[in-house]
Amino acid sequence: MERRRSGLRAFLKKNFDFITGILSEVGLTAVIMVVAFIICVMLVLIKSMI
Amino acid sequence: MKRAFIFVAILLTLMAPLASSESGQALIENANSFDGKTVTFRGEAIGVMIRGDYAWVNILDGDYAIGVWCRAENAKKVSIIGDYGHVGDTVEMTGTFHLACTEHGGDLDIHADNFTIVAQGRDVDRSADMRVVALSVALLAVAIIVVFYSWRIRNEKQKIMPWPSY
Amino acid sequence: MIPALTREDFKVIGFNLCRIGNILGFLLLVPIIVAVIYREFDIVPHFIIASSITFILCNVGIHFLKTDKKMEVKHALCLAAVAWIFCMMLAAIPLWSTRTTGSYLDANFETMSGFTTTGLSLAQGLDHLPYSINFYRHFLQFVGGIGIIVVSLMILSKSEMSSVLAFKGEAREMGIRPNIVRSSRIILGIALTFMVIGAVLFSVVAIGEGANIGTSIFDGVNYSMAAFSTGGFAPHSQNILFYHSTLYEIVALVIFLIGSFNFTFHYAVLSGKRREIFKNIEIKTMFIVLMLSTLVISGLLLYFNVYPSASILFRKAFFQAASAQTTTGFGTVYPAQIAGIWPSAVLFMMSIIMVIGACANSTGGGIKAIRIGIIVKSFFREVKKALSPGSAVVTEKFHHIEDTPLTDTIARGAMLIALGYIILFVVGTTATVLCGYNASSSMYETGSAVGNVGLSSGITSPAMPVPLKITYIFLMWAGRLEIMAVLVLMGFVILALRKGVRRR
Repeated sequence: MERRRSGLRAFLKKNFDFITGILSEVGLTAVIMVVAFIICVMLVLIKSMI
Repeated sequence: MKRAFIFVAILLTLMAPLASSESGQALIENANSFDGKTVTFRGEAIGVMIRGDYAWVNILDGDYAIGVWCRAENAKKVSIIGDYGHVGDTVEMTGTFHLACTEHGGDLDIHADNFTIVAQGRDVDRSADMRVVALSVALLAVAIIVVFYSWRIRNEKQKIMPWPSY
Repeated sequence: MIPALTREDFKVIGFNLCRIGNILGFLLLVPIIVAVIYREFDIVPHFIIASSITFILCNVGIHFLKTDKKMEVKHALCLAAVAWIFCMMLAAIPLWSTRTTGSYLDANFETMSGFTTTGLSLAQGLDHLPYSINFYRHFLQFVGGIGIIVVSLMILSKSEMSSVLAFKGEAREMGIRPNIVRSSRIILGIALTFMVIGAVLFSVVAIGEGANIGTSIFDGVNYSMAAFSTGGFAPHSQNILFYHSTLYEIVALVIFLIGSFNFTFHYAVLSGKRREIFKNIEIKTMFIVLMLSTLVISGLLLYFNVYPSASILFRKAFFQAASAQTTTGFGTVYPAQIAGIWPSAVLFMMSIIMVIGACANSTGGGIKAIRIGIIVKSFFREVKKALSPGSAVVTEKFHHIEDTPLTDTIARGAMLIALGYIILFVVGTTATVLCGYNASSSMYETGSAVGNVGLSSGITSPAMPVPLKITYIFLMWAGRLEIMAVLVLMGFVILALRKGVRRR
């Protein structure tokens, strides 16, 4: 178990940039989606006020 | 008189499934005119997804497939899903058509009130065409010979003259 | 003066074409694995036939066309153009022989749509296709997506006009072939990583939504290949609507948005340069265009009472806008609804964003975000020049991996390619209207073909007129190669006809 944990830690450390890079790109797409949803919500709110 | 009335009522009830169902093409291309109305739709089951007490059954009519939202126990009646090796169960349902269902994120769908398996699906025989098999064997043999011969010539020439590299 | 062509020029192209063909020969054997898993033994011979024909042609070609002449940029550009046609015709064999398409021309349309990651489809009976054939269609898109990144980085960027596409971060200029081999490995590694992540996410979500495990995994792999390659093929006639799942669509959005990013951007971010996310001109351009188009499209659909709520607008309007701009082509709306119910103004807006396209050096098509960003900055530069004193030196720069000055060459190159796409768009729309279709649907369909998108208003079907099918094949091909390679090929042919072909 200890060997497996240290193996995983070494893998994560070695590929830190790669893994955080993937997470960053996924985060970017999440931001795009959130902003788009906010735009949709704002439009519906504006229409309900008119 | 009473017997005649009962006879006609039974006849009408039996004839109900034969009432014309709308085609997938008609429903999709004239979605505006069917929106909110009760429709009858018949086709082949090509997908079932159970979600708790309800389920999605995708029904294909010709080239058009529509998602039907029905009770899970009805969806579980579908025994054969249509794919390459099978013709799926033929399903007929009656329900409310939605152009942009607010319950399901704006999807075009039908919420089924009635759901019947009209015909069982079946396996489709997909045996290989022996002429195609023979052609493939012949071409494979030629390809192996050509590739092997080409590789041998290249190897022999490599000894005399190196392979171009850039 | 342009020198006359020699036989060696054609031999260089032909020789390398046959080497690419050998790779295709191996790729045509991959779907056999799927055929064996699903016991589709009747389909296996069709792939063996296609692969064998490819190997025979290419190895005979290699034998007779071997040459010592070094490959130059003009050869590479022609090779890129010819390779797409050559591969299209050979890869069409299994689709035609299994009657997936009605005719050999339709099969060529399908494979060109696959290799160019367009997604317009003429396949019949999608829901009853053999699993191996369905996998093959998506595999073509994945291969095509990787192929165009390699071509874009290694070949198209060699021309002065598109030099902004050159791979940044590699200082060595080693010639074309060694760079292709080494860089292809990196591109393939990154593509496979995201493809596997996508396949796992799609499969898990599908199982969670009630689909059976086999269907979930098969669809997951296919949708992931189509999403990352921004291709748009789907294993079902309902496209992504088959799953009736917002979560499934969100996974699709994540994967195809990532697939539309520039490969050099991926390389930079995955190497630790995460600040690139905030500074890169393409990401900024794509973000602005996508948000503006979401605003306009959602606003119009809300105004015309097509969809009433924010969540529905997100699923339909934003998804379709993102699918159009990234040139993916996944649909959450039936084509007949787009043509019949969506307002014409929305179709027009979608046509524009389809032609604008995704990032350069990605699997996406269109004019490309970097060129749009460069064109906009060029306008700013001209306005600054007009407002500045005559003796002032006005400069402008943009950030793409590194800060790059905006020179007249770069601006001219961007505008020329953009003009080329606009010309293709006008020609395609005219051809479609002449075949009897209405203007807004014609623009939508043409934008989809030129931008390699794949969204359809219903025009693309087996019943399309034959001249229109050929036109769309040309549009997909030219659009994929950013027109330049196609023009160089035409120049080659004209030069050969005018000046003849010398022996040496």
